[in-house]
Amino acid sequence: MHKLLEIHNLHATVGDKEILKGIDLTIGPGEVHAVMGPNGAGKSTLSAVLTGRPGYEITEGSILYKGEDLLAKSPEERAWAGLFLSFQYPIEIPGVTITAFMKAAVNAKRKAHGLPELKTGDFLKLMKEKMAMVQMKPEFAKREVNVGFSGGEKKRNEIFQMALLDPTLSILDETDSGLDVDALKIVADGVNALRSPEKSAIIITHYHKLLEYVQPDVVHVLKDGRIVKTGGRELIDIIETQGFDQF
Amino acid sequence: MGHGKYIDPFCHSDPFCHSERSEESLYRVQAGEVLNLQFVVLPGESRDIDVSIDLIGPGAQAHIKALYLCKADEKVNFRILMHHRAPGCHSTQIINGIAGGSAQVTFHGTIVVAPDAQQTEAYQENHNIVLTEDAKVQTKPQLEIYADDVKCSHGATVGQLNEDELFYMRSRGVPEAEARTLQMLSFLSPVIPEGRENEIEKAVRSL
Repeated sequence: MHKLLEIHNLHATVGDKEILKGIDLTIGPGEVHAVMGPNGAGKSTLSAVLTGRPGYEITEGSILYKGEDLLAKSPEERAWAGLFLSFQYPIEIPGVTITAFMKAAVNAKRKAHGLPELKTGDFLKLMKEKMAMVQMKPEFAKREVNVGFSGGEKKRNEIFQMALLDPTLSILDETDSGLDVDALKIVADGVNALRSPEKSAIIITHYHKLLEYVQPDVVHVLKDGRIVKTGGRELIDIIETQGFDQF
Repeated sequence: MGHGKYIDPFCHSDPFCHSERSEESLYRVQAGEVLNLQFVVLPGESRDIDVSIDLIGPGAQAHIKALYLCKADEKVNFRILMHHRAPGCHSTQIINGIAGGSAQVTFHGTIVVAPDAQQTEAYQENHNIVLTEDAKVQTKPQLEIYADDVKCSHGATVGQLNEDELFYMRSRGVPEAEARTLQMLSFLSPVIPEGRENEIEKAVRSL
């Protein structure tokens, strides 16, 4: 049985600058890993590289996902294989409604797996159900993607999309930043509802709050492009009281 | 817009839109009349569109919507003169298009507001997307205002499809080509004529 994700000695640069300097990280099915670290540690670069964002160069190392070379796949192929990134700064897409966007996404994934497209009625029903899960009002279905959304609404929209796309490995990049306690709970409930023995998640944060609601199995400290410490939940308290300087 | 006499140019504009390379038209819009013009240029042809509009009666209106899509070595040229000669007239122009291949596009749009044309409202927008390095778009908006009580604005942009939007959609599983199509259709949506959505979508996919 393969591990779900195996990152080995990953080095990545942006422009001429090396940001990731040898990451090793293995995630098994059903595990939730927290990656914590100070600003500039390389947390968002890690999520960008995992999802195939243009502009990052892998100079060394490998990433296996379900035993296959993840880096050889396009961003959409990664999504079809069950990878999902909740963006730190969700993108606004003027002129494209949430319904049109998600219908294209869901049906492309189904097509990739040899399934027929969902009928419009079935799709809308599914969408409504998942929106209710993160307490998004039904009228958001017709809104342009993230246009004019508050910070909390954008993050809820991310978790709604995550629920709808039903990923195997979810990466939450600073999903807790800019959320008040109520929005944080809604987001956390959404994430917890998706936990299962097959599904894994990486929660990237520099802050302990979300981890109170979504309890990780493993905690990593990322600093200066390397994982400098790996442990259990006790690390969260140590970081909370003593900061990242000790690592 | 409901009160003026409506001049419907659609019945004759479409045939010559599709059959001739070049069209030059002069429209005179009288008091209280409303002129609506719509141009659609699809891949497969080069076109020169040269339109002069004289708003000669008080309260006259003219509204232009244009959409172009071009590729290969096609050339599309717009020259639009909107001349406000009488008081209280209102004009709007929105011209959006996408150039691929090694297509060349020019837009030269002039709004002239005569000294007597007080309480003029005149707006012009020209937005362009270039898909390739070889495609060229030149836009030259121009305002000549000789009256003092007017509301006028123009906006012109030449850009590319937004890469952040593209990656966001792809990361959710929307294939790159589909994501680009969604972006292009959303960019064009203000100028897509009702009832021609499928035709335009097909043309966008061909770029």
